[in-house]
Amino acid sequence: MITFGLPKGRNLGPARASLAAAGLNLDGLDSSRLRQRFPDQNVLGTPVEVLLLKDWDLPLYVEHGIVDCAIVGSDVLEETQPDVFRPLQLKDGRSRLSLIAETPELPKRSGQLRAATRYPAWAARLLAARNLHVEVIHLTSSIELGPLLDLTDVAVDIVQTGGTLRAHDLHEVEVLAEVAPTFVVNRASFHAHRRRLSGLLGALEETETGGD
Amino acid sequence: MKISAGLPTGVSAALFDSARRRRELEARLSALLEGRGFAEVLLPILDYFEPYRPLLTGRRLEQLYRFVDRDGQLLVLRGDFTPMLARLLAPHLDELELPLRLYYRGDVVRHQPLRPGRMREYSQLGAELLGGAKAEADERMLTLFFDLLLEARGEAPATSDGEEHTLRVVLGVAGALDDALLAAAGEREASDLALRIASRDRTAARRAGLADVVERGYPTELSVLGGAGEAVSDLLGLRDRLSSEYRDAGVEIEVDLAEFAAATLDSRIGVGAGQRGYYDGLMFAAYAPGTALALGVGGRYDKVFRSLSGDCSAVGFSVGLDLLLELGDAEARS
Repeated sequence: MITFGLPKGRNLGPARASLAAAGLNLDGLDSSRLRQRFPDQNVLGTPVEVLLLKDWDLPLYVEHGIVDCAIVGSDVLEETQPDVFRPLQLKDGRSRLSLIAETPELPKRSGQLRAATRYPAWAARLLAARNLHVEVIHLTSSIELGPLLDLTDVAVDIVQTGGTLRAHDLHEVEVLAEVAPTFVVNRASFHAHRRRLSGLLGALEETETGGD
Repeated sequence: MKISAGLPTGVSAALFDSARRRRELEARLSALLEGRGFAEVLLPILDYFEPYRPLLTGRRLEQLYRFVDRDGQLLVLRGDFTPMLARLLAPHLDELELPLRLYYRGDVVRHQPLRPGRMREYSQLGAELLGGAKAEADERMLTLFFDLLLEARGEAPATSDGEEHTLRVVLGVAGALDDALLAAAGEREASDLALRIASRDRTAARRAGLADVVERGYPTELSVLGGAGEAVSDLLGLRDRLSSEYRDAGVEIEVDLAEFAAATLDSRIGVGAGQRGYYDGLMFAAYAPGTALALGVGGRYDKVFRSLSGDCSAVGFSVGLDLLLELGDAEARS
C-alpha cells in the first residue's frame, strides 16, 4: 500500500485532477474524512490510502514517513525546506510570488523597507538576491493589508488572477518566483516503492508537460 | 526516557530504559565487530580546527562547532569520526601493519537544522578498513554494513505483504555523474543541476539527458559516464552478487547514482555545499520504511589520506544508533 497526503481546501481539486489524468482515480474521495482507502485498480497496482492534511503540515508528514508522497505547493516547500525528494511540478494550479505595493514602482524610503509576507524565510532570500535588504514582517493572512494599513511598505504574496490586487488598488511590482503544486516523496518510500512510483511519475509527467 | 527540555537545542539526555537500550545495542554491535577482527579506538571530543580545512568541504565544515580556547587556539567539537581518525593515523602509516580494522562509537555534534529524527548531538558507531585490495575491501565492508544493520534490527516483525520492513541499501560511485553534469550544464550551473537530480527532479534530469538516472538509478548506456562507467558496471556486478546473498535476510540492494549526485561536484567546482565531500569511490546508504533519514552511510575515502600526504586505501561507514533504536520502536508499534 502507498499512502498519499493531499492538501485540504482549494488545492485538493487540481491535485486530484492531475492524479486522475495519470491513472490514479480517487472517485468517491470524501473531503470531510481524514483517512480513506482505495483498492488497487490504479496505475500503481497497489491499494492507496489518502490522508487529507493542511498544506503547511504536509512536508512534515512526508519527512516523517507517515505518508509516502504528497502534492504540496512549492511555496510551502521553499519556506519550510523539508528534506524530501521533489520529482515533479504539476501544471494545474500554478501561481506566482510577487512583490506588491500601492505604487507601480518600489516605494522609495530613506530607511529600510518593510515587507509583509507569510513566507519570511523565502521572501528574505529572494529579496536579498535582488539586493533588497528589507525588514520582513510575518503575517499569517490578509497580507495585502500590510501596505494598505501602513504596517509595511510592500507585501510579498501569492498572486493567482490579480483580482485581489485590483480590488484594493494594489500593484504587482515584480514577480519574484513561480509557485507550482509539487509532487514530493519521502526518501525511504522512494526506494521502497520505486518501480510503482516511477510508473505514476512517468504518467504524471506525460500529462502535465505533454512530454516537453 | 529521553529529556531535552532545559537543554540546548538539538540535544537530549537518555535516562533509564533509553540509556539501557542504547548500551545494549552498542554492546551487540561491538561484539559483532570484534568478532570480525575490528579493534576499538577512543577518540577525543576536542580537536584543532585547522586540520579539517582541507578534509571537509562546504556544509560539513560550516556545521562544526568551533570556539577559541583560553590559549587562543581555534578548536572544534567532534563532528565526524572518520576525518579525525585519518588525520591521526596518516603520519604513522609506515609504522602500521595494514590492513587495519578499527571501530568507534560515541557522539558527534553538528550545527544543523533540526529535522525529523535529526538532532544536533547524536550517537554513531562506525567501522573503518585501511589498506588491502580495494574491490575486496569494498565488498567486505558492505557485507559488514548489512550484517550490523540486521543485527541492530533483530527479527523483523511479520507483515502482510512482506515488504514493509525490508532494509533498502543504495549503492553509488562518488563523482560518477560529474562529467555528464558538467557537459549538460556547464561549470556554473552543474552544482545546481546535481542538487536537482539528487532531489529526483525528473524535468531537470530529462532536459540534461539524464532521465534514466532518476528513473532507474543509472544510465542504460554506461559509456555516458566515461571512465566512471566501468566503476558503475563493477557496482552492478557487486549488487547482483550481494542481492542473492542477502535477499532472504530482507535486504534489497539497488544501484542509484542520483542518490549521490551532489556528493563531489560541489567541492570540485568550488561552489555549493557537498554533504559527503570526502568520498571518492564506492558510496552507500541504508533506509528503512518510515525512517526520515538514512540509517547509515559509508564509502571509500582514499582521497582523505592523499590530502594528508598519505597513501592508503580506506573504506568505512557509520550507523546512527539513535535512528536504529527509533526504527525498533517504530516496528514494534506497527
